[in-house]
Amino acid sequence: MTLVQLEGAARSFGTGHTQVVALHPTTLAVDAGELVAIMGPSGSGKTTLLSLVGGLDRASGGRVLVEGTDLATLKPHELAILRRRTVGYVFQDLNLLAGLTARENVSLPLELDGMPVARAQAEALDALASVGLAELGDRFPDDLSGGEQQRVAIARALVGARRILLADEPTGALDSMTGESVMRLLRVHCDGGGTAILVTHDAAHAAWADRVVFLRDGRVVDEARPAPNPELATLATAAPAAPAAPAAPA
Amino acid sequence: MSVRYGLLSLLAEAPAHGYQLKTAFERRTGGSWAINIGQVYTTLQRLERDGLVSALPTDGDRNDYRITASGAVALETWFATPVVAEAPARDELTIKVLLAVAAGDVDVTNLIQRQRRASVEQLQAYTRRKAQADPQQDIAFLILLDALIFRTEAEIRWLDACEARIAQLTRTAKEPS
Repeated sequence: MTLVQLEGAARSFGTGHTQVVALHPTTLAVDAGELVAIMGPSGSGKTTLLSLVGGLDRASGGRVLVEGTDLATLKPHELAILRRRTVGYVFQDLNLLAGLTARENVSLPLELDGMPVARAQAEALDALASVGLAELGDRFPDDLSGGEQQRVAIARALVGARRILLADEPTGALDSMTGESVMRLLRVHCDGGGTAILVTHDAAHAAWADRVVFLRDGRVVDEARPAPNPELATLATAAPAAPAAPAAPA
Repeated sequence: MSVRYGLLSLLAEAPAHGYQLKTAFERRTGGSWAINIGQVYTTLQRLERDGLVSALPTDGDRNDYRITASGAVALETWFATPVVAEAPARDELTIKVLLAVAAGDVDVTNLIQRQRRASVEQLQAYTRRKAQADPQQDIAFLILLDALIFRTEAEIRWLDACEARIAQLTRTAKEPS
């Protein structure tokens, strides 16, 4: 099932000889279960593409469909509902509210959506548990590590069973092992039938994706999918589990 | 070079015979390095010649070896010495990009993108294996995968830098003097 679809979607600013094209007409379909990474130099249109899918910006041409709905047909308040119920956003700067606990940060989008507080808080705890932070719900962001804060931000993006996760450089400020744990969460989300679109300049993190889409000057120029790797297949079979000493002392 | 010290490090733990050394070496290097038994015996003979191991009195058809005091010193020195990359970069990719840039009539941007795609696809394959591995059980394999991943990542970063440099050059050339 296709959750996100761009049909010739484009974004430009101005007209005539002063026109600036941020994204040329682009076609892209992302299915349930798929993790797609977008790579490209700065100014190549990565963030524009993500903003169109998240309803933060409107396409100036073509169509953007999210779970089958053409975003151009939505009124502003309907777009706001889409952002609260269907699409979750994770940024590099986490935008957690410092005066709220982890759990309150996560339950906030549900409460804003009119859900009773008790139920919203229970859902928030579930979401925190899914990112391995069940025990830390009462901590404030300042008392959490960078990696833990990013996991709270992911819980907030996914709470209320939103299936589409949009992530803009979510691992940017993290060390490599912490960044890897964030990528594992995105992978789990997608393997469970969700979808994530990830913008990153970090190839090692993009490599967690099923597809890596390369943008340049506002155009999709290439796409990578995992290489078949027979050499690596032999490696695994030759690597038995437990390390063992060569022999008992004589 | 590493087979020699690999065998020494195994013998530092306990005496062993050739076949035990072969299987233990392969396991410890994450399965990345299959060695044949002949190579193990040749290496043991050289280590014995150099006084770094000695053969224990045989009780039948196989020889157990143990590490000597000077073998232990040689091993300690090896672990204590940083590895320095041997030669200036002369790998095929570096040379290919250098020659393409100099040639002028080769589409370097496409060459770089084709290579980047291939490298990212390789990285995706490594990462899939990493995602499947058990962090408690497959430590040697995971450390090996990290090495492959970081090397491939470095190659991609280098390709990004090449592209940025060429773009800069093109911009400078277009600016009126």
